[in-house]
Amino acid sequence: MSAAAPRNDVILEGIDLKKHFGGGGLLSTPTVVRAVDGVSLAVQRGETFAIVGESGCGKSTLGRLLLRLIEATSGDVRYEGQSILSLKPNDVRRLRRELQIIFQDPFASLNPRMNVGDIVGEPIWLHGLAKGSERRDRVAELLNTVGLRAAHADRYPHEFSGGQRQRIGIARALAGDPKLIIGDEPVSALDVSIQAQIINLLEDLKERFGLTLVIVAHDLAVIRHMSDRVAVMYLGQIMELSETDALFDNPLHPYTQALLAAIPVPSPSSRQPKVLLQGDIPSPASPPSGCRFHTRCPHARPVCSQQTPALEATPEGRRVACHFWREIQGAGAGSITAPPPSPALAKRLELYRTWRERQDNAVAPSL
Amino acid sequence: MVHDAPLQHVTGANGPGKLIGTSEQPLLDLQGLSIRFDGAPKDVNVVDDVSFSVGKGKTLCLVGESGCGKSVTALALMGLLPTPPARIVAGSAMFEGKDLLSLDEHERADMRGDRMAMIFQEPMTSLNPAFTIGDQIAEGIVRHRKVSKAEAWERALEMLRKVRIPAPEKRLKAYPHEMSGGMRQRVMIAMALANDPQLLIADEPTTALDVTIQAQILTLVRRLQEETGTSMIMITHDLGVVAEVADEVAVMYAGRVVETGPVEAIFEDPQHPYTIGLMGSVPSLGRRQGRLATIRGSVPPPELMPKGCRFTPRCPFSDQHCANDPPPLGEIAPGHRARCWYAPLEVKRGEAA
Ligand SMILES: Nc1ncnc2c1ncn2[C@@H]1O[C@H](COP(=O)(O)OP(=O)(O)OP(=O)(O)O)[C@@H](O)[C@H]1O
Ligand SMILES: Nc1ncnc2c1ncn2[C@@H]1O[C@H](COP(=O)(O)OP(=O)(O)OP(=O)(O)O)[C@@H](O)[C@H]1O
Ligand code: SF4
Ligand SMILES: [Mg+2]
Ligand SMILES: [Mg+2]
Repeated sequence: MSAAAPRNDVILEGIDLKKHFGGGGLLSTPTVVRAVDGVSLAVQRGETFAIVGESGCGKSTLGRLLLRLIEATSGDVRYEGQSILSLKPNDVRRLRRELQIIFQDPFASLNPRMNVGDIVGEPIWLHGLAKGSERRDRVAELLNTVGLRAAHADRYPHEFSGGQRQRIGIARALAGDPKLIIGDEPVSALDVSIQAQIINLLEDLKERFGLTLVIVAHDLAVIRHMSDRVAVMYLGQIMELSETDALFDNPLHPYTQALLAAIPVPSPSSRQPKVLLQGDIPSPASPPSGCRFHTRCPHARPVCSQQTPALEATPEGRRVACHFWREIQGAGAGSITAPPPSPALAKRLELYRTWRERQDNAVAPSL
Repeated sequence: MVHDAPLQHVTGANGPGKLIGTSEQPLLDLQGLSIRFDGAPKDVNVVDDVSFSVGKGKTLCLVGESGCGKSVTALALMGLLPTPPARIVAGSAMFEGKDLLSLDEHERADMRGDRMAMIFQEPMTSLNPAFTIGDQIAEGIVRHRKVSKAEAWERALEMLRKVRIPAPEKRLKAYPHEMSGGMRQRVMIAMALANDPQLLIADEPTTALDVTIQAQILTLVRRLQEETGTSMIMITHDLGVVAEVADEVAVMYAGRVVETGPVEAIFEDPQHPYTIGLMGSVPSLGRRQGRLATIRGSVPPPELMPKGCRFTPRCPFSDQHCANDPPPLGEIAPGHRARCWYAPLEVKRGEAA
């Protein structure tokens, strides 16, 4: 987490972004999927900004729109104050270098026929950043940076474990000296122990290179740990946007409350009956009228199905799209009660860290 | 995978780690299960000396990293292990007076879907897309019960009501692809519980589901379990799910059970370095507690598996003794065991070495 991201130093901004799939053409289905449907957000320089929501809510689509990896149906994206939808070819190249993405499935996103050196070195070559031995040195340095070794440059993706492949993807993303990295579920496919390594690595790199991170994820614990601010999405729209601790301590939107209440808390002593959200997530091809959440919302009233609530600013500078958030917030629903580690666990973790450090100092730096 | 640490070759852990979960007679008592795959490096059992027991009406959670042998263990219990290439080389699984591991194919088929049932992560792998939901549930009932087709359909309807599927009469005539992932998982549960099994094995039943749907399914399973008294083995890698549903936990690492005990003991008083590292790796849902503690490296491939404790190359406390000699699953407290030479760590690794 960055100490204090300076306010109002926007690096990347999405303005009323929409992405509708289908509907056009002869062969495509007549149904239109409103994957992203009017999203505005501003990412501050140096922060970690999280986009969270359930499957199909449009997180990945939004991430791709922000990098212009897909074209928006409408709306605008501004990078460093400039629209990226009407850039000259030269500026597009700079954009491709400064804005990077890492994907969920490290295997699918790495070319299996290229060795690691070429995978990591490709952006360096593409952007003419270094040649020959200089490029090899740079690749070696990048591999070291992400906790791999220079010797790994000659090997192929299939020879690596999931966590190692994710490190390769990160090295590649770093190769062009990016300013901002979007991680689309960068740790979701990994085992818990490997996930923690990659989370720490991303945090270290962010610090070291002054990066801005946008993390797309569905794991709320990962988000609470990593991010400064969070946007909660539901069916293509932002329901709530807030600083992380405020969101978890006092969720304002009924959907955020439901999401937090649904997370299994890793503490058997704090088991308690849950207030559950009923029903399934509606299809983004035919989203409910008015507030998209009204079909599952325990607080819904007639107006909810008729009028779409605006993403209103609260006095604390949070944003929430609910007609009744003022009345609902008093209920205090959904805030998370996660007890700190038990004394025995805390003590043992301390011991674990001490021995781990001792071991790391004794041998070569570990992953 | 790329590994460079030169390590010794491998042997199985010696001596079965005898295990009793609860004091009364358990419903299932698995002892010393070892499984190997043809073609795997010699003497490296994919599942090695795994023991646990499940009490009546209780839930045992099996947790551990991808590839540690959770599903293979479950398939062995269900008699669904593909043999060859898999071979059970040792072990017994006492269930209602019979050893599940030595049943013949016919006895096993009788057992499955009747006395014990299994649900999988992806319901579509066990639902037939060509038949209606009602047909599939009813078929499972007719297979094991002397009932008419109409009675079986009646029971199927009752089961859909039990798992709270909206408009159950209509759903009976629906095909699997017409339902959402959460609804299909409910159907699977309805199917699995249709014959009132004594034991339900659930392999990552909510992993593919969204968190709000997962919460619905977990609540449903718990409620049904209370109603029917069914015992359950739940396989998951989500420690949150474990904390919510487990009575007992067995933590597996690279084919072995490294720690086992009541759920409170595992979360609040973990003893094995792997369990401790795992707890430190999970980000907190509360306010940030600083950097995550991590486990270094990754699980070694079979050919590099140390012959002693399989956690040696990743363990902060390890030494040559660990690398050479497999530790026993030693008792720390009644019902709480850890497979580590240096547990309890405060006593044996508390002082600077
Ligand atoms: N290329 C495409 N063509 C048609 N529909 C698409 C396409 N890409 C995404 N969609 C649809 O748009 C919606 C949003 O998809 P998106 O991948 O952005 O969701 P997500 O929030 O990233 O979900 P997940 O958590 O499953 O990754 C979904 O309904 C999806 O099916
Ligand atoms: N048919 C097979 N032939 C050879 N090896 C196999 C076979 N099936 C499984 N294995 C190996 O057995 C080990 C245990 O697999 P298993 O599926 O039980 O893991 P798991 O703990 O269920 O993992 P996950 O969390 O990924 O489901 C793995 O290392 C796997 O590679
Ligand atoms: S036996 Fe040794 S290597 Fe294994 S967990 Fe204990 S200390 Fe670590
Ligand atoms: Mg996605
Ligand atoms: Mg499995």
